[in-house]
Amino acid sequence: MRLTLHSEPEPGIRPANAARIGIGGPVGSGKTALIERLIPVLAGRGIDLAVVTNDLVTKEDAERLRRSGLIDPARVSAVEAGACPHTVIREDPTLNIAAGDALEARFPGLELLIFESGGDNLASTFSLDLVDWWIFVIDVAGGDDIPRKRGPGVLRCDLLVVNKTDLAPHVGIDLPAMLAEARAVRGDKPVIETNARRGDGVEAVADAIARAVLFAP
Amino acid sequence: MRVIDHIVGSRTDAAIAAQLHHLDHHRAVDVLTVASADIARRRLRATTEGGDEVALALPRDQTLFDGAVLLLEPGHALVVRVGAQDWLRLTARDAADALELGYHAGNLHWRVRFETGSLLVALDGPVTDYLARLGELATGDRLAWEVTQGAGGGAVHGHAHHHNHHHHPEPAR
Repeated sequence: MRLTLHSEPEPGIRPANAARIGIGGPVGSGKTALIERLIPVLAGRGIDLAVVTNDLVTKEDAERLRRSGLIDPARVSAVEAGACPHTVIREDPTLNIAAGDALEARFPGLELLIFESGGDNLASTFSLDLVDWWIFVIDVAGGDDIPRKRGPGVLRCDLLVVNKTDLAPHVGIDLPAMLAEARAVRGDKPVIETNARRGDGVEAVADAIARAVLFAP
Repeated sequence: MRVIDHIVGSRTDAAIAAQLHHLDHHRAVDVLTVASADIARRRLRATTEGGDEVALALPRDQTLFDGAVLLLEPGHALVVRVGAQDWLRLTARDAADALELGYHAGNLHWRVRFETGSLLVALDGPVTDYLARLGELATGDRLAWEVTQGAGGGAVHGHAHHHNHHHHPEPAR
């Protein structure tokens, strides 16, 4: 099948099929909070988007996004993993692929699909069959030893987000040292610090997404 | 920046091979080297050997492979070359150790190939990281290991396949 290409001058070039990105990370690191902040920023840039959430046995995260008023509830789909969350983003991402295809069919102008993994452990990674590019979110309160532990999620993601930077003084974390260690274990790959509750660093995350998969300058 | 939204074909397709051969005489075939670990991506930005910035946005039913032709036009072609892949060759001392090795390799979701008597693990990072995961199994004399470099990543020899279990590694270059 040959797809038509429609390119626009700025802020990027947008082919007909939607870009697919993943957002993973440990339980409570702020994945949903980051998405809640990203939605208006990306929408404000004219990016047509939808979200697929993954939960263990409920649709909690999907309901939270649908009720948020940030996005048309029809643009949020839920996949219940029913098992370890990584099973549906890596071993067999069929349910997520189907949910993404259904959203693309329903919203033909879709440019970006965000897959939010259920909270998992540091070994969690996304299959490139499911997404083109993925983010791993860790948080300061989870401990400054997380980057040192060299989990596959931390090492292999395309973008590492270190969230809840505002909590560093309250949990006795040396934030610059934690970020330096994160950058050291990741080599050339980027690390961005965020405070998703306040929105700090979210523009930088949006820039990284737009550049990597929507080909913004 | 050029956006490429589909794969034209394979450099081994007869019709394409003839055109490439002709273009090659005019030094008009550019190469896009893609790291083995990135070969499953459908979207990426990269710079060709010739210095052109390109963006890839393939349909979800297409995947890159070594020899994929991305552009074929009068006076210009662009062909994918998969970067060399390092492999860790692990050979267990006996069947019991081999079983244990297989258990760990599966549990760690490593990309592997099988060779008679050995397990080959695709290396996406330092070899010490991989051996450390095997713990006691790798520190004694229960396993022999060596790192070999193969061409073409072995990730793909077909069009839509990225499973590589049944391929033998390419000779080192």
